[in-house]
Amino acid sequence: MALLAHVARGCSRIPKLQLEAALSVRFQSTLSHNDTKARRARELRPRRNYLLNDEVEQHRKSLLQQSPEVEEIPVQQAEANVPRDFRHVMPEFLPDPNPLYRDRVTEKLERMDMYRRRTCIDIPEFYVGSIMAVTMADHHAPGKQSRFVGICIQRSGTGLRADFTLRNVIDGQGVEVRFDMYGASLQKIEVLKLEQRLDDELFYLRDAAQEYSTIPFDFEPVPLPKGATVPVNSTKVKLNPRPWLERWERHELKGVEDLNLPEKKYRRARQVAKPWERWDLMKRQRESINEDEEESIMKETYMETESTRRARGRQKASLKKTR
Amino acid sequence: MNVICRQAVSLTQAARSFSTTSCLHELRKLSRVRVVDNSSIGRAAAVAGKPGRVIHVYNKQEVATLGDKVLLAIKGQKKRAYVVGVKQRQKAGVPRFDTNNVVLIEDNGAPVGTRITVPIPSILRSKEGDFTKILSLATKFV
Amino acid sequence: MLRFRIRTRPRKMASLEGLGSGPEGRLKRLRKHVTALIRHERLETTYAQCDETRGYAEKLITMAVRNGDRDKHTMEMADYWLLEKDLIHKLFKVLVPRYQSLPATATSIHRISTEYPGDGRHMGVLELKGNPWPPVRPQPRNTRLHLHNIQLEEAKKEYHQERLRAKSAAAAVPPEGSSVDGPAGSSVDPDPIDSESESGESKNSGDSSKR
Repeated sequence: MALLAHVARGCSRIPKLQLEAALSVRFQSTLSHNDTKARRARELRPRRNYLLNDEVEQHRKSLLQQSPEVEEIPVQQAEANVPRDFRHVMPEFLPDPNPLYRDRVTEKLERMDMYRRRTCIDIPEFYVGSIMAVTMADHHAPGKQSRFVGICIQRSGTGLRADFTLRNVIDGQGVEVRFDMYGASLQKIEVLKLEQRLDDELFYLRDAAQEYSTIPFDFEPVPLPKGATVPVNSTKVKLNPRPWLERWERHELKGVEDLNLPEKKYRRARQVAKPWERWDLMKRQRESINEDEEESIMKETYMETESTRRARGRQKASLKKTR
Repeated sequence: MNVICRQAVSLTQAARSFSTTSCLHELRKLSRVRVVDNSSIGRAAAVAGKPGRVIHVYNKQEVATLGDKVLLAIKGQKKRAYVVGVKQRQKAGVPRFDTNNVVLIEDNGAPVGTRITVPIPSILRSKEGDFTKILSLATKFV
Repeated sequence: MLRFRIRTRPRKMASLEGLGSGPEGRLKRLRKHVTALIRHERLETTYAQCDETRGYAEKLITMAVRNGDRDKHTMEMADYWLLEKDLIHKLFKVLVPRYQSLPATATSIHRISTEYPGDGRHMGVLELKGNPWPPVRPQPRNTRLHLHNIQLEEAKKEYHQERLRAKSAAAAVPPEGSSVDGPAGSSVDPDPIDSESESGESKNSGDSSKR
């Protein structure tokens, strides 16, 4: 009787559980066939170089942090109704989806820098196909600045490295200038004519007649009526005869007239096309930011840029009053 | 004779069967360039459909960039020239042109022409020495 | 959005159509797997194929849950990925309500043992959650009714009852009886009763002084 009681006491609940856990861990680690040093390290320290908002919030509100010095940060309510296609308006705020380059902290810091830059310089809404003018600090120019007018043929890059390319034909010479959108030497960005084209990139203008990309430097701004949607310019460009810089029949171009090529070229284009990529859900997943993250980033961006815009409007109004 | 002809045709076709697109648009030896000043020799070469070829680049990389001096073979002569516009991808704020442009100079560094007909990259204004003579011919900067 | 970690690059998979069918053949093969998974709710192949299939099936279900059957893009995808068209109905009418409020993945994946003798492929099982099949992982065995556990339970009960009885006796019976109980209690379990035995001793001493 005394012995049984002793055993019962020895097997009291908590130590038994601990022992079991310890044993199972030992067994797993010794018996698992794909047990490597790297695997164990991964299990111990999951490869994640960012903090989840929930986790941060939990630690911030934990009992250890309950001191008068910790301020209560008001949670910004989602009062803003983010427009549906806002990510097309400011695509550079979405990070590069390549997992090798993902770093949530850096992205956040970069976005903050971008908002700060936007308080100094007005970066308006523009699209590929819009006619723009950029004034840039130029150390060697007589007025210390130079202005370039052209049609936007490409937008690329993300974060602070976002850029856009303007194209124009000056004295019969095609000229293209790429500008860093958040570059420090940019002084003014004007959108002279806000419109979209049928394609995302207009590199085919290099192979088209010059009048398609000729824009006079004294181009008068064409204002868009308030509340109007951005018009789509459905001009069909007629390309010069081959040779071209690229095999345009292999790109799915919408803003180009019929290319008038021999059937052989189209056949080859069909052979090298990849129509199945449309169905590859995981490819799309890997090459884009997921919807939830996109939504949260876009909401943040919308609220920040809207407040900047409103502040600028107030500033303008006060300037007018003082005049 | 017939056999030889057919061989020749097949050879030319073989030569054409691979892409000859210059993806980097580098200005190397044997690349064609456009003379953009109003020198008679440059104009004559353009009219004849035989633009000058680079036969030497005066730098260690052997790839000419903006402001580099090159040696051209043009109209059966050897002429030095400065590169004033390139097709290659440029840094932000530096223009990229649709053609590779050069301005001919004499052996003593004086330009052959009297006027440059196309815009010149503004960044070249930082150049010193003989290049200032070329800049004085320019009508427009971008 | 997927709730599990995916590989940064897709696996290269041998295709059904032999050499040269490339990524298109890969999709065709995966399409069969996804269809089978939605049909039978459980799939057993190599682990690699299970893992590849999982992403596509999971993505399809997530899209269906989010966008509903009115969305054109979602319907096109369902039409492509489900080879048997009655499964489109199942996807929207059965699986969407099932996973509507599930705050986790809709599928689960298990490694199972490698066949021996065999070609040494690592096998796996991919299944939809809430399927009617018996579970892949064995339930933990209930050992409560094993003989030694019953005995231990009984012993515990007996011991506690004995202690209760002793305590009540000590409370009810006048102090003379308690001098007998004290040493017996300390002999049953020496360590945790130290304080008790001390108190017992103190009681004893108090009693003796009274006496």
